[in-house]
Amino acid sequence: MKRLRATPQATIERWFKRRGWKPFAFQREVWAAYTRGESGLIHAPTGTGKTLAAFLGPLQEAIEEGATGADTPLRILWITPLRALAADTMHSLQAASEGLGLDWTVQSRTADTKASIRNKQRKKLPPVLITTPESLCLFLTRDEGRELFADLRAIVVDEWHELIASKRGAQTELALARLRQRNPAVRTWGLSATLGNLDVACEALLGVGGVGRIVTGQLPKQTVIDSVVPNTIARFPWAGHLGLTLLPAVVNEIEAAESCLVFTNTRSQTELWFQAILQARPDWAGIIALHHGSLDRSVRGFVETALADGRLKCVVCTSSLDLGVDFSPVDRVIQIGSPKGIARLLQRAGRSGHRPGGVSRVTFVPTNALELIEVAAAREAVALGHIEGREPPDKPLDVLAQHAVTVALGGGFDAITLYDEVRSTRAYRDLTPVEWEWVLDFITRGGDTLKAYPEYRRVEFVDGLYRVIDPRVARRHRMSLGTITSDASVQVRFLRGGRLGTVEESFAARLKSGDRFLFAGRTLEFVRLHELTVWVRLARKPGKTVPRWMGGRLPLSTELSAAIRDKIDQARQGRFDGLEMQTVRPLLDLQALRSRLPAPDELLIERLRSREGHHLYIYPFEGRLVHEGLAALIAFRLSQRAPLSFTSAHNDYGFELLTPMPIPLDDALEGNLFSPMSLADDILASLNAAELARRQFREIARVAGLVFPGMPGASKSAKQLQASTGLLYNVFREYDPGNLLLHQARREVLDRQLEQSRLRRTLDRIAASRVIVVDVDRPTPLGFPLLVERYRESVSSEKLADRIRRMTIDLERE
Amino acid sequence: MTATDVAGETLSLLPERAIYWPRTKTLIVADLHWGKEETFRAGGVPIPLGPVHADLRRLDRIIEETSAERLLILGDLWHARAGMTLSLIGDLEQWRATHASLAIELIRGNHDRRAGPLPNALHLTVREEPAIEAPFVFQHFPVPSVAGYVLAGHVHPAVVLRGPGKQKIRLPCFWFGREVGLLPAFGGFTGAAEIIPANGDRVFVATDTEVIEVSACRKL
Repeated sequence: MKRLRATPQATIERWFKRRGWKPFAFQREVWAAYTRGESGLIHAPTGTGKTLAAFLGPLQEAIEEGATGADTPLRILWITPLRALAADTMHSLQAASEGLGLDWTVQSRTADTKASIRNKQRKKLPPVLITTPESLCLFLTRDEGRELFADLRAIVVDEWHELIASKRGAQTELALARLRQRNPAVRTWGLSATLGNLDVACEALLGVGGVGRIVTGQLPKQTVIDSVVPNTIARFPWAGHLGLTLLPAVVNEIEAAESCLVFTNTRSQTELWFQAILQARPDWAGIIALHHGSLDRSVRGFVETALADGRLKCVVCTSSLDLGVDFSPVDRVIQIGSPKGIARLLQRAGRSGHRPGGVSRVTFVPTNALELIEVAAAREAVALGHIEGREPPDKPLDVLAQHAVTVALGGGFDAITLYDEVRSTRAYRDLTPVEWEWVLDFITRGGDTLKAYPEYRRVEFVDGLYRVIDPRVARRHRMSLGTITSDASVQVRFLRGGRLGTVEESFAARLKSGDRFLFAGRTLEFVRLHELTVWVRLARKPGKTVPRWMGGRLPLSTELSAAIRDKIDQARQGRFDGLEMQTVRPLLDLQALRSRLPAPDELLIERLRSREGHHLYIYPFEGRLVHEGLAALIAFRLSQRAPLSFTSAHNDYGFELLTPMPIPLDDALEGNLFSPMSLADDILASLNAAELARRQFREIARVAGLVFPGMPGASKSAKQLQASTGLLYNVFREYDPGNLLLHQARREVLDRQLEQSRLRRTLDRIAASRVIVVDVDRPTPLGFPLLVERYRESVSSEKLADRIRRMTIDLERE
Repeated sequence: MTATDVAGETLSLLPERAIYWPRTKTLIVADLHWGKEETFRAGGVPIPLGPVHADLRRLDRIIEETSAERLLILGDLWHARAGMTLSLIGDLEQWRATHASLAIELIRGNHDRRAGPLPNALHLTVREEPAIEAPFVFQHFPVPSVAGYVLAGHVHPAVVLRGPGKQKIRLPCFWFGREVGLLPAFGGFTGAAEIIPANGDRVFVATDTEVIEVSACRKL
């Protein structure tokens, strides 16, 4: 007798059983919700079954509809932020489709996809396609995309927390709106780590008015946070972030682990720690590796595979391994330097202990004394369940301009229809008609209609539709799609040909023949720089230089900052709980002796006179971004009283202002020095001097299509179109000051770089506090790190010429 | 204006980024890059109208102030052929007409060569390099010459001044070496390249209002 065909649900259950698994309750919840036509967001740590929760619903539906053949058109679109994840995801989705008996091929489409496969995908897409936001937008620039996506049922956005707070998130929101507009029945599911603002994340994913179910995934495993502490704090550095003091302890921890990830906060530190560990344990050569975003993809791929196969004892890495791929053999995670945020610490801890019943454990290694307070604070915050949210960007016009050109290319658009579609996204829900009109003007006429931009040509208005006609414009747009800006980088290659990765052009330009530097875990000797390639050979002697990569240091999160202020206050009251606080106690005692430990309702200012000049050290404990803004604001307000030039330094605890002349602090404190009044105006006025906006404009100019990514071997005529964004910024400021991209630069500086809302809250807090000024005769434990902070910025109210004369004189005196 | 002695001649360095040579009543400028905004616009990069008109007003001012009889351009007058639009040429012709008695001489630069023939109505005399007028040799490219002291353009020199506490300012400059002197780019929509002067070189920065010698700084 012929067996009855099993129901799809039974098929899934049987497949799970065969593999010795049992579906989690949350997976069943998502499958059922999908079947009912719902969309939503699933949050849980990595490696807890979110992928199958999102994928099997659409598979079940396909089985029911009998769409299981090899020729099934595209039904499921899987968006991933990292193309490195595409291969891994492809394997698990393929395995699941085969396991359920479908005759499907899962393919990926990223910048890495071969041209032959691309060409085939132009005519027909596989039933499941994995892609990045950028490659998805490339599809939208093609008119034929419409038919290819006609049978789309489900969109899954993986690692949504990674996208949401960036311009890539806004770009993804716009692309999702486009797909939903073409195909209103499509269901969207997001996969995310746990965030403090899941409702916002869900609205951004589904669009304004979209109703979604927020599903909590498998409960977090037990997480242990401990630290390696120095025997004595006296010999431990007060500042800096490269200290290798604790290397022997780190080596012992690695020794004890089966397989271990060592996270550092920058690529340079990764190189340094890798070398140091290898020098301490030469016998580990071959079983330890390093991984960061500037290494060649082949190198990274090799390390990822070896790690997943359990062939590596240890990988030293950056946030490049925060995401995605499941490394089950990893049983220990070491974090070097402060993780600066609670969510990030949990995410990294979650990379270990993937075995059944495993415990996640992250061991923290401080690189300076004060970081001990940060880990004590982080542990407390985790225990209290305080976790950061991620705020989506608010209508970035550069991204919208890029999107409008994309849609104009992909068959053209009607202005009113697209306006409604764009406003259905959370990012652009408040886009005004005036702003939309400006974007249209920007892409068709170059800018404000009142300002003439003669002969300008990008998007043209033909037969009632906005379209791109010029093929050169089309080609350039496709090549420069995306919102990721990186500094000009050059390849690093061996003379015999092997590729190692990339370093920044500015670093390459300083190298002289014979210079040795550490990169990709080796000591290399520079031979020559030719056509955007640094040619190297292996060095015989050791080198000390390490390339530096731009990329701002992460600020301390609001949640962690608050937790640190609590810890300082506990210390002030003589409470030192736990190993970390016990260890750092002598240093805090010294701070109390030389100066003061501030109470929660006090703002501490230290005043110091040195050979360098007059210093103020101010400690709001609010994270480096807020301090950068505060430093500019306070410097500006002080310089309103007397012509003064300031240099400033900032870290997560406070900031320093330094000037050659005495500072009229007491007068200023009686005035409006810390007043929240006229904050935005004063900040903007101080920014004009500080030129933060000019720096921010770099990214905006690139996204809005004002500058193009360097094309190696570009012809002379392409080079005639190259200008630095600094020059463009100057020209706009002088000749089209109303340009909304300039406004955007200022707004982004206020909102993103300086966290204006957080800055305002800080000023409100200070307004309600007592200001305590302490004169000190040398830097205190809190002040010293600011003294050594490398990054300095100048704000000046003096006339340029006076400044130059004084600089000249000072230099002569040296 | 700052007077200085170069190769035995007195030259005035103007904050408008030009040199006036009083003995021959000659204004010397380099790297105007006319038509650069138009080239960008035609390529889909919106650059507002303005820089070239500001440049022309700056030229008007220094021509009037110095009563120069001749304008000598050390190359890269035009940015590219795509920038030679009718409306720009019209504006330039009009400007030329207001200085009918002024002789304008051009030593062609790399950009001029690619841009092709120049509009006749501008009444320019094109001179081949090296254009020798003892003690000077006028060129676009800054290569030393046996025929005299070279004044050239092409580089768009700028210098970075550093003060205490890592203060930093980047300014266009005049740069006089032993054999070659360089002018800052005159055009308002041009970039600049950072230079590293050698010992004994004289460097003058141009702010909007003044020219200031910074050669005394040991570490520029």
